[in-house]
Amino acid sequence: MNALLLSALWGVVMMFSSFLVKEKSAIRNMAVAGLVLLLLVNILEMNGKVFFDINTRGMIYFDRFSLLFNSIAFISTFIYFILSAKDMEKVGDNYAEYFALIFFILCGITLVTSFKSLLILFLGIEIISIPLYILTGSDKRNLKSNEAALKYFLMGSFSTGLMLMGIALIYGAKGTFMTFVPPATVKEAAQATPASALLIAGMILLLFSMSFKVSAAPFHFWTPDVYDGAPSVFTSFMATIVKAAVFASFIRLFNDAFGAEKSQWQLLVAIITAATLFIGNITAVFQQSVKRMLAYSSISQAGFMLFALYAMNGDGKEGLILYATAYSLATIGVFAVLIKLKDFSFEGFNGLSKNQPILAATTTIFLLSLAGIPLTAGFLSKFYMLKAAMETGQNLWLVIFAVLMAAVSVYYYFRVIQAMYFKDGDVSPDLTVSPAFKTILVFLAVLVILLGIFPGLLLNWYYF
Amino acid sequence: MNITHVLFWFLSVLALFSALMVITSRNPVHSVLWLIVTFFAISGHYILLNAQFLAIVNIIVYAGAIMVLFLFVIMLMNLNKSTEPKKNRWLQWAGAIAGLCLLLVLVAALKDTEIKGQAAQVNEGEIGLIKNLGKELFSTYVVPFEISSILFLSAMVGAVVIGKASPNPSEGRA
Repeated sequence: MNALLLSALWGVVMMFSSFLVKEKSAIRNMAVAGLVLLLLVNILEMNGKVFFDINTRGMIYFDRFSLLFNSIAFISTFIYFILSAKDMEKVGDNYAEYFALIFFILCGITLVTSFKSLLILFLGIEIISIPLYILTGSDKRNLKSNEAALKYFLMGSFSTGLMLMGIALIYGAKGTFMTFVPPATVKEAAQATPASALLIAGMILLLFSMSFKVSAAPFHFWTPDVYDGAPSVFTSFMATIVKAAVFASFIRLFNDAFGAEKSQWQLLVAIITAATLFIGNITAVFQQSVKRMLAYSSISQAGFMLFALYAMNGDGKEGLILYATAYSLATIGVFAVLIKLKDFSFEGFNGLSKNQPILAATTTIFLLSLAGIPLTAGFLSKFYMLKAAMETGQNLWLVIFAVLMAAVSVYYYFRVIQAMYFKDGDVSPDLTVSPAFKTILVFLAVLVILLGIFPGLLLNWYYF
Repeated sequence: MNITHVLFWFLSVLALFSALMVITSRNPVHSVLWLIVTFFAISGHYILLNAQFLAIVNIIVYAGAIMVLFLFVIMLMNLNKSTEPKKNRWLQWAGAIAGLCLLLVLVAALKDTEIKGQAAQVNEGEIGLIKNLGKELFSTYVVPFEISSILFLSAMVGAVVIGKASPNPSEGRA
């Protein structure tokens, strides 16, 4: 509740700073300060200090999972800000407004990780989506950015329509917006009624619209175009923090509202997972642009995160926390380096190790983590996901298929590494990066490795 | 068969027919006009359910504001000729089959639903009256109501970002 109110408030503050503060660096510092504050109040809330006592009538409930997820989102955004906030200046003139929109998105993230009512889920998803449409199209003079924004807006609105239709059907079946209604009496709990067809139809519609938001196949068609067309700084944000948060809400929704109907959707989710892994990985192999490759890689990583939904057990939730962190940190790092380069194709990375050895080394670690090489966070998170899926004891083919697809993913991640180390070229001789930028990158790489060796550093927060 | 039944069937047929006309008419302006008819028919249904507030808001917002916007866009972009591009035949078939599948699922879902007691409170329900609606909105649903203000605020900031002209890059802010 602390973070929810403060993020909305800070969005308003950033909005006003647009005309009250002239210095761009001052605006940037304000945003970073706001984020630190946000993280602080969220950690305080994890320790039981809630500043605002608002009766939400059970519609919003912050449990351990949601608070930890919010913290991860804030930490990732903090790292994202100090790495890439300077590059937002190049996008357009409305520097402060971009930060305001990002803070509103963070507000939406706190909503979707903590909802107990479908109404709040809808509001949260919309508060995330609408600023994202704007950020996608914020490079107004770039036709590709315009096209991406329009595409994203049209398809996103359509999927929101599907979601509303689903919510309406579920309301018809249940008579309430609440995701979980405890049975009024013991007798009522004993006689479990089979799910009505109305509820199932609504559930399927919600499944489709949420799959769209996390870009799972076959609802992924918008992803490459939008991620490619959007300004790279904002692609970095929407491919990582936002996607991870929507996954958290996906899990929460299906755990609370449709936990009893698991047999109805489990096979469907398995098929979506397999399709996502297949399409994401196979198409990524054929890409010529690293930015587009990363868009497809985000689809394939979404496939792995879908395992948490498929398994829907304790291991799956732990795995999602670790996966979201590992994926967000590594992708933010890769994008931060990518933004500094002029040429987004694989050739653009040629010989980076000679000019910028630190950049090349840290990028290698991030890419290794994304590919799931042992000793990195990416490996352990994939391991947790597959373990969770094994525990369900069904559909072993899915796990085997995922391992195969992870092997395919090594190919396109290593193409970048190969370009950096084994090809000659002179990338952006005018490339200058500040020592602070390098320090943060090294810190991020250390974090990725540390989480790969001691996942307990993060997962203990879930329990204590 | 009293007057309510007659009105219900009339409005239902009108709504379905005009909705079909929206998607089948070649001329975009005709589509928009049929859409207005659809909205009026649905508003009529709301009135039958004694939800006067919803009916009026539906007419003011949808039939009034949004449809005018539609017409403006169509006329400004000079789309009032039928400039529909020729579509792939396979795509049409795929769309038709997918749409029919969805229809089948939804009809099956609705058919299967057992309706306990009276499904609709025709002419007697109180909940749609503006007084009850306001009470409910500002007591039970006050938190979502306030949260939606964040949504609108972010949309407004977005409109400024998209719409504001940038006179010159160095002096972006006025």
